[in-house]
Amino acid sequence: MIVLPELDVRQLASPMGRASPLTKLAVGLAWLAGLVATTDPRPTVVLLVAGVAAATGLGRVPVGRFARAWLPFVVAAGGVVLVNTVFGAANADAAARVILEGGPLRVTEPALATGLVLGLRILAIAGVGVAFAQTTEATALADALVQQARLPDRFAYGALAAYQAVPRLSLDLVTLREARRTRGLGRGWSAGLLLALLVLALRHAERLALAMDARGFDAGIPRSRFRPVRRRREDALIAALGAAALAVAILAAR
Amino acid sequence: MEVAPGECLLVLGPSGSGKSTFVLALAGLLGRDVPGGLEGALRVEGPVGVVFQDPGAQLVMERVDDDVAFGLENRGWPRAAMAARVPEALAEVGLAGLGRQRTTTLSGGQQQRLALGGALAPRPRLLVLDEPTANLDPDGARAFVDRLAALRAAGTTIVLVEHRVELAWRLADRILVLGSDGQPVDLGTPDAVVRRSGRALIEAGIWLPADVDAALGVPPPVPGSPVVGGAPLLDARGLAFGYRHRDPVVRGVDLAVAAGERLAIVGPNGSGKSTLGRLLVGLLRPDAGTVRLLGDAPHRLPAGELARRAAYLFQDPEQQFLATTVEAEAGLGLRGGELARLPELMEALALPLGRFGARSPYALSGGEQRRLSLAGILARRPRLLVLDEPTFGQDRATYRGLLAILRERLDAGVGLVAITHDERLVGDLGGRAATMAGGRLAEPVAAEAAA
Amino acid sequence: MSAHAAAPGVASPAGRWRTRDIVVTAVIGAAFGVFMAGLNAVYAGLGAGAGSPWLLLYLGWLLPAVLAPVVVRRAGAGLFAELVAASVSVLVVSQWGPDALLSGFLQGIGAEAVFAAFRYRRFDAPVVALAGAASALLAFVHDAVIYYQGVAPEILALTLFWMILSAAVLMPLVTFAIVRGLREAGALRGLPA
Repeated sequence: MIVLPELDVRQLASPMGRASPLTKLAVGLAWLAGLVATTDPRPTVVLLVAGVAAATGLGRVPVGRFARAWLPFVVAAGGVVLVNTVFGAANADAAARVILEGGPLRVTEPALATGLVLGLRILAIAGVGVAFAQTTEATALADALVQQARLPDRFAYGALAAYQAVPRLSLDLVTLREARRTRGLGRGWSAGLLLALLVLALRHAERLALAMDARGFDAGIPRSRFRPVRRRREDALIAALGAAALAVAILAAR
Repeated sequence: MEVAPGECLLVLGPSGSGKSTFVLALAGLLGRDVPGGLEGALRVEGPVGVVFQDPGAQLVMERVDDDVAFGLENRGWPRAAMAARVPEALAEVGLAGLGRQRTTTLSGGQQQRLALGGALAPRPRLLVLDEPTANLDPDGARAFVDRLAALRAAGTTIVLVEHRVELAWRLADRILVLGSDGQPVDLGTPDAVVRRSGRALIEAGIWLPADVDAALGVPPPVPGSPVVGGAPLLDARGLAFGYRHRDPVVRGVDLAVAAGERLAIVGPNGSGKSTLGRLLVGLLRPDAGTVRLLGDAPHRLPAGELARRAAYLFQDPEQQFLATTVEAEAGLGLRGGELARLPELMEALALPLGRFGARSPYALSGGEQRRLSLAGILARRPRLLVLDEPTFGQDRATYRGLLAILRERLDAGVGLVAITHDERLVGDLGGRAATMAGGRLAEPVAAEAAA
Repeated sequence: MSAHAAAPGVASPAGRWRTRDIVVTAVIGAAFGVFMAGLNAVYAGLGAGAGSPWLLLYLGWLLPAVLAPVVVRRAGAGLFAELVAASVSVLVVSQWGPDALLSGFLQGIGAEAVFAAFRYRRFDAPVVALAGAASALLAFVHDAVIYYQGVAPEILALTLFWMILSAAVLMPLVTFAIVRGLREAGALRGLPA
């Protein structure tokens, strides 16, 4: 059963927690562009370290909590290292130093080097992802999208209502699987099970939409703001530090 | 008809009489999200507040105060006015101080009062409620109706659709009765309606408060005769279970059920009743203690064998539907002989396959869904029935039919554990009843005392 | 407020988004967002990557981008559903963050472009296949640039092959099987599909 994550007060009161989600998103995308622009290990490591520091320092994400969210990416990073090394374009280079050879397999040093950097890139991206997710509440994201990015209210808050339905959908799934077992059908999965889950999701959406309209969601008048989003000092701070980290990364490149 | 300001109108009618459609029409929601047309004229002065049946399907925002403010934002209230009104509305529904809580952490009863608060916040001229207490436990329902009584006393105009009226009866200034064809049958004060249409209401299967029943000469229910000395079916000792570490939901429960025996488990939502039920039929593995179902630990049994020994009826019928037609759903997992029983059983459950077989299970009313979810279980004839809210949404006639089927199974030596809020069912079943609270099950007592 | 006379049932003619269309699309997105989070874990665990037939699973990430438009038939449904899915997978399980939103955007916009090219009038199998292919193509570009930058061209070509096969052949089959099931269950009443 899925429980929506509850960020603790320290995370929300941290500079990362107080900054607008859009600021964090912009910095994250700028870093992503920086990471993609190079296969040099040094800028990659700079942004990897910066991401971890942003989460645990500026975001006050407890180290254990950060690690739990981040460590699963070691597997994904390992996969990326593997494919880029084994299937590396550089392996075709006759001049490259071979470190492993057998049958059709020929692994060269430059391919491994590229693979390792790309693995680090995954860990850096994951670090940024955890820093973002562990300091951002869904409501704050919806508010910022509406008030700062001028996205239409109905879509942002419709999405927020759907996000709220996630625990219920996961409970539906658990119950449907139990129901399968009590009908003598075993513990497995079936297409019917997943379809039943989607049916419940759609029916829930139908009821939710009705309840939202009953409260004037589609009244057609401009909505007012219970939680006004303002630009804060923290936004400037995160943007400045984000730009600085990116600058250091660029300078660190050869 | 007209509803005067400050009046409370109670709407009664059998399933399919268009009560919910009436609510949607009052709320101005017909023809928008809901396909269909509206004929005739309807005038409602000022905004309408609506509360629906399912508390969990009305939550929009993450936190309680944001959720109350949602309707105010939609109507463009200035921020200062919202900041003043939100805590006020929360106080009106007994949720003062819970503003920053997550809506998903509230109990069902609290969520429903939150929905009421959200509906009340914009100060509607009319409040419309569609079976608002149907999904609540007795305490939650009482707390909700108490709030409604306070609102009525303060002059709010209320239209209340209810199925079981034990609690809501005293709120009604007037009663509107809808017939099964959706036509209005009667309208008047409760006394006048009972005098003019009381018998017709009972024949239509509509529940009335016990004292009204008595005044109309409805015989009180005859409790089932408790059985003693059957062969043991189920034996649980020292059962404990928690979904999360160090957070037990069921603690140290002992219980035994013999053939032909009936045991009602009552108690508030969240007390661990459904979890206990799941432990008894092997859907969960106990953290401590043992369950023996005809001698074996049920969670280790293969699914087919388990289904032959015990059945579990889930609280929400929709959550157990796995097929897209009534016939396929009822017959799912059944074998030859079991399938052959189905047509007659569906007839007895007032869901004849000829009329209902090709329909979608999701298109049925709540009460019909409940009976459909029971059909497969009853056709299989397992030795033990563990049923969570088996009588949900039933009118008098279908309730009687259901009770007859259950009694027939009990006479055939089936053991029954009924998890229920339905005090009438506890009495009608007879046998023993045990109260669950905080994960512990009290010593069972005679059902008459519990009901 | 007063309501008189009849209102049409299903879709408003100009393709205006009703609240129900919005919430249905968002809930489809949210359901698949959770599914994707699970898929991410399985996929990483399998060590699947460039060139592997496991890429046939790729439709799991792209499905909301075509399923939602087929169900609600509104301009922007593919993009909206895919963005909700990405956001939910980010917020619920802290995964990938801005990168997930970027790939969600690309996958959504790919499908969206095809539905838009047909002026949101066609939601049949060929158009869904085309939308799937476009979505997979942009997803491929994203993955190739970010994850597979060092991979040899022939392996990348194989990667694209499996992804397109998943999105343009398997995905329409899955999509219409789902829609058929939903319709049988009566879950599409009042929706355009």
